[in-house]
Amino acid sequence: MSRLEETFKNLWAKEDVIINAICFLMALVFLYFAAANLIWAGDFLTTDALFMTVVFLLLAGVLMISPLLWLQKHGYFKKLVGADVDTEPVELVPVHFEGTTRLFAGILGWLLGLTFIEVVLAYFQVPIILMLTILIGLSLVKAALIIAYFMHLKFERLSLVLTLIPALVICICLFFIFFPDSMRSKNLRYSATESQSQTAEP
Amino acid sequence: MSTEAHAENLIAADWEGGSLPYRVGHKKLGMWLFIVSDALTFTALLMGYSYVRASSEQWPEPFKFSPSILFSTVMTLCLLASSFTMVMAVKASARKDRKHTRRWIMATMLGGLLFLGLHITEWKHLIDEGLTPKSLPAEWVKEWPKASYLFGSTFFAITGLHMFHVFTGVCYLGFIALRVRRMSHEDVEISGLYWHFVDLVWMFVFPMIYLLSVYRGH
Repeated sequence: MSRLEETFKNLWAKEDVIINAICFLMALVFLYFAAANLIWAGDFLTTDALFMTVVFLLLAGVLMISPLLWLQKHGYFKKLVGADVDTEPVELVPVHFEGTTRLFAGILGWLLGLTFIEVVLAYFQVPIILMLTILIGLSLVKAALIIAYFMHLKFERLSLVLTLIPALVICICLFFIFFPDSMRSKNLRYSATESQSQTAEP
Repeated sequence: MSTEAHAENLIAADWEGGSLPYRVGHKKLGMWLFIVSDALTFTALLMGYSYVRASSEQWPEPFKFSPSILFSTVMTLCLLASSFTMVMAVKASARKDRKHTRRWIMATMLGGLLFLGLHITEWKHLIDEGLTPKSLPAEWVKEWPKASYLFGSTFFAITGLHMFHVFTGVCYLGFIALRVRRMSHEDVEISGLYWHFVDLVWMFVFPMIYLLSVYRGH
């Protein structure tokens, strides 16, 4: 190995460390923001405070991914998720876990069951805020089941999952910034009599 | 060094890149990226719907449990069943069983067409009652005098766009089924990804548009 090549190799190793250290520091900064928000925001259970906390925690989590994977690769702790690439025989042609019919039928059963629960909630006319919370929760579970099993994402490489899911989740969370405004604009409405005369003539 | 062995050296650990960073074909990666962006389109629409609903003084809750909610539940079951047949089609295609792949895809298309037929029937009923994107039926205005006509706008925009996706999906699957002999396994799998995504979107549209507007009486 020539000297030049060796220098490049050392530089590459250092770059690895530096980038991961920066990611780690930024994750710490966002964790600090989340904690600061928790302590100094005053009333914590408002839409604004919750929004800030969620966004900061999400950003911290995403920035942590790279350093954690790096540490894992260097054997600092045991691998938690994803297939172990070192021991797995490497396939050039993309090969997938096929899944048994029984597994997919089971997933279908779960989806039908959760849908049934949702419809039952509508039948008993549960109060609307409680119903909204339960429905969104159940729908998220259903979405996760469809993505993981029907769309095979559970059996794809971890890098694909990390490319697609965090970006989507963060973008969706950012949409929540509109809600305080929607509550506010409700209070800025015309009085009931005025709006009544408005809707009467479409 | 043979090409295979060379490529083997280039495959690195997760998140390290290598020659096949995702170990999926470029078409499949493209479909995944499309799905993510399309998911954001539907998120934006559903968020817009939530926004106007939260900022309205009153919102119509016109869907009686029987027949409206039961009707849309049957539509949901159609989509769920068609998702399952699509999984079976992908499994058959993995076995290189072209005949069964085609049959399962046809079953999936049938589920999709059934969904479309039921959905159009429902639209027709609502339009006959007098619901348009710009006005509410007279009876609804009597029952919810402070409600805005945005109910119609959001309802037709969201379910309409979803219906368009189902229609596109049926056409796409029809194309795959016709040329199934020339399609690789991955092509069938990608069409499956799209179909499951359409199902996934309905899993949010159904509770938010229908179940949360169930008729509660007075």
